[in-house]
Formats: sequence, C-alpha cells, structure tokens
Amino acid sequence: MIKVENLHKYFDQQHVLKGINFSVNKGEVVSILGPSGSGKSTLLRCVNFLEQPTNGIVEISGKRVNVESARKVDIQSLRLSTGMVFQQYNLFKNLTVLQNVMIGLTSVKNISSNEAKKVSAEILEKVGLQDRLEHYPVQLSGGQQQRVGIARALALNPEVLLFDEPTSSLDPELVGEVLTVIKEVAKEGNTMLIVTHELNFAREISDRIIFMENGMILEEGTAEQMFTNPSVERTKQFIGKVLKK
Amino acid sequence: MENLLDIHFLIESFPAIVTRLPITIGIAVGSLIISLFIGLTTALIKIYRVPVLKTISSFYVSFVRGTPLLVQIYLVFYGIPKVIYFFQTEYGWLLNIDVNIIAPEVYALLAFSINLGAYLSETIRSAIESVDRGQFEAAKAIGLSPTQMMLKIIFPQALSVAIPNLGNMFISTIKDTSLVFIIGVIDIMGQAKILGSRGLAFFEVYIAVSIIYWIICIIVERLLVIVEKRARRYERGVVS
Ligand SMILES: Nc1ncnc2c1ncn2[C@@H]1O[C@H](COP(=O)(O)OP(=O)(O)OP(=O)(O)O)[C@@H](O)[C@H]1O
Ligand SMILES: [Mg+2]
Repeated sequence: MIKVENLHKYFDQQHVLKGINFSVNKGEVVSILGPSGSGKSTLLRCVNFLEQPTNGIVEISGKRVNVESARKVDIQSLRLSTGMVFQQYNLFKNLTVLQNVMIGLTSVKNISSNEAKKVSAEILEKVGLQDRLEHYPVQLSGGQQQRVGIARALALNPEVLLFDEPTSSLDPELVGEVLTVIKEVAKEGNTMLIVTHELNFAREISDRIIFMENGMILEEGTAEQMFTNPSVERTKQFIGKVLKK
Repeated sequence: MENLLDIHFLIESFPAIVTRLPITIGIAVGSLIISLFIGLTTALIKIYRVPVLKTISSFYVSFVRGTPLLVQIYLVFYGIPKVIYFFQTEYGWLLNIDVNIIAPEVYALLAFSINLGAYLSETIRSAIESVDRGQFEAAKAIGLSPTQMMLKIIFPQALSVAIPNLGNMFISTIKDTSLVFIIGVIDIMGQAKILGSRGLAFFEVYIAVSIIYWIICIIVERLLVIVEKRARRYERGVVS
C-alpha cells in the first residue's frame, strides 16, 4: 500500500532522515515511536510533501514517486491518497465543522454540495459530532476539534491516514475520546501510520511498530514483539522508560 | 458689527457642495478597489519571493512611502501625459489615447491608487503572514490548489486581521482626496473653494465641507464595524 525507500531529508546541513525504508500493507496499522527530534514528524510530512524530501522514493498504491523529480501532479496524487491528522488539529478557523469536512469533497473531488453535506454529516455522526455541525472550531474543545480533524481526513476516503501525535495537545481527560475514535477508524480496516507517544495505545492498536532514533529506523516488529522482547537495547530502554512513567 | 459667520450662506452652500460628492466618493472607492488589487499582487510577490518582480515591488513601496502624496499627484498628472506622448512619438504606441482629453479625475484616481496600493501592500502581506502555518498545511494536505487555499482559507482569515488597518487607510484616503483640486478636479473641496471665492465667505464653506467630510467618515466607520463583525464572526467564543 505505502512504501518508502531510502528516504533522506536535509534541513540545510542538518541530516534529519538518513535513508528510511519501510512499508505498510493495506489495512495495517503501524505506529512510529521514538524520542523527540528523531524525525518522526518529518517522515510523515515527507510522505505527503508538506516537507520536500531530499531524495528517495515514496510509493502509494503502486504509484511510485521519485522525490527528486516529483512534479506537481505527483505531489497532488500523494496528497489525495493520504489524509493527515495534525497535532494542533489545524481546522480551518473560518469554516464551520461541517464546512471543514465538506471542503475537500466539494473543492477537490468536485462533489455537489448536497451530496458532500450528506457524506460529511454521516462521518461527523460517526465521530460523535452530529450536534456541532454549525459550530466554528473556536467553539469546540480540543477533543472535539481533533475528532473533526479526523472526520476531515476520513471524508476524502484516502488510501492511508497519517496521524502526527493526534493527542499530544489535548488535556489528559480529552485524550480518551480521541483515542476511541482512532481505534474505531482502525477497526474499519483503514491503513494507518501513527506517530504517537501513547505507548499503551500504540501497543493496543498497532499491527506493527517502528522505532526511530536519530533519523534512522532502529528496529521494527509486531507490537507484541517490540513491547515484550525488543532486540535492540535502545528500544528496550525507550519503551521501558516511557512505560514506567 | 459684522457677524462672525454668515449662517445663511453656510447652510445654502451645503447642497451645492454635496453635488460634487460623487467625485470624492468615486475617487476614494475607485482607488480602494484598484489599490486592493495592487496591494494583493505586490504582497503575494513578496511572500512568494518572485525574482525581479520582488525588487520592483519593494522599490515601488519604498518610493511611495518615502515621498509626499502631493508630489505623487503632481508626478502622475504631469508625468503620465509626457510618458504617453513619448511612446506615441518615438514608438508609435498608444496612439488611440489622446492625452489632451484625459480627465483630471483619471489622474487623481491613478495617483491615489498608486499611493494607497503601496500602503495596503504591507498591511496585506503581514495579514497573510499572520495566518497560522497550520492552515496552509492542512489546506495542502487535503489537496486544495494554491488558488483554492488562498481564496477559501487564507484570504478570509487575513481579511479579518487586516480590516481595522484597511479601514483606517481608507478613511485617510477619503480625507486626502481633498488634495485633488490642485490638478483641477472639482471634488467637494474644489467646489467649496469656488463657492467661497464667489461669495467671499471662505470660513463658511470650509466649515460646511469639514462637516461633510466628518459625516462621511462617521458613516464609513460605522460600516467598518459591521464589516469587521461579519469578517470575524468565526472568532467568537464558546456559544454552547
Ligand atoms: N522546518 C524545519 N527546519 C529546520 N529543521 C527542522 C524543521 N523541522 C524539523 N526540523 C529538525 O528536524 C529534526 C527532526 O524533527 P521532527 O519534528 O521530525 O522530530 P520528531 O521526531 O517529530 O520530534 P517530536 O517527538 O518532538 O515531535 C529536529 O532536529 C528538528 O529540529
Ligand atoms: Mg513530531
């Protein structure tokens, strides 16, 4: 489904991604763990070209893009096959909840406004926000905003959902409602790539886990294997340290 | 003893001055529209760092902000016909324009557009740059084209930031249009001058014209409050 080959990213002289290779199969949920600054967000953002990767290959659903020679249409096709959920939600502040979810359907997929409204309202119902359709983002709690963020990504029916620390900006008591929604989305068979610091959540939801440090993938394996018996000492330390907290 | 004011003359002069109101409003509103276009274009040139154009537009903004409006009006009024004439005689271009029949109102409109455009440029640029980066990223991530992103997400948010500033500049422009009589445009100020010299009652007509400017500005301020409320309606706090 999604495949990244030998991906590098430099910010000026700083080598942030140092040859990343991984793939995610259809319907699989993969979490990326790793210490702060290891390049997790940069990796996700390179997949949909919010950051221009320096070199390597990104492939989604058989469409291979060599990042160095990526044209606008290639970038657009990667963006259309991915949906992104941001740490800061990034809802469009000037649009209502319903409009936030509809805009991709009407403006990008050219679906009629009536049809888009119907589809969006259904998705918003799924994330439990059917009674907030006409609210603006400022009028919602963080948890509600993030659920809209998830609905907005789901609306375009992407091949892969990318989550960048979807609960890190939330008050602790709001984390649960968002994690519940993400779990439901996973259950529906969506392909997902999640960066998170919620280790228990990652363990529960993931088919596989990737551990990154210093711009490289140190280890990857099934959730069970990574949590109970990681082969790399550094992974053990990281998981042990965070779980103990 | 003579009266301080000829109240009768003052009141009589109002309707005569108001007949020229369309000129004042026309130049102010017309140059606002043109300058929004200029300001937006130069702001985008600066934001996207378009080579060459970027240098030209910084030069333009710097020049306009560094020279008096009065001088700019003269430059446009005397300069443009000469430039057109030069192109006509040297290159045979622009032959369908007769510089002798261009109305002074056109020069006034141009001068004010050029002037206001430079000021709006900076306001618009900083308003666009004040929009959270996450808004741009979310727009790109869902696949909006750059134009859609700007029109549907960024401009509306930038506008609500810029409106107070835009409004102040527009109000200044309305008042500054009182300079246009120097190139022969008869706006409300020009009309007041004519009436004043005819009746030798300058104090009266200038009181009348100042009241008219004042009223226009109060109306515009009221309108701005409404427009701003509308533009910022999504910023209101929690309602439920
Ligand atoms: N736009 C940027 N310009 C320059 N350097 C950047 C930029 N974005 C990220 N970096 C650098 O790249 C490195 C990786 O950052 P990244 O945000 O990908 O880490 P992360 O693993 O997501 O960390 P965290 O867990 O704190 O979110 C960091 O050293 C960071 O300073
Ligand atoms: Mg990060």
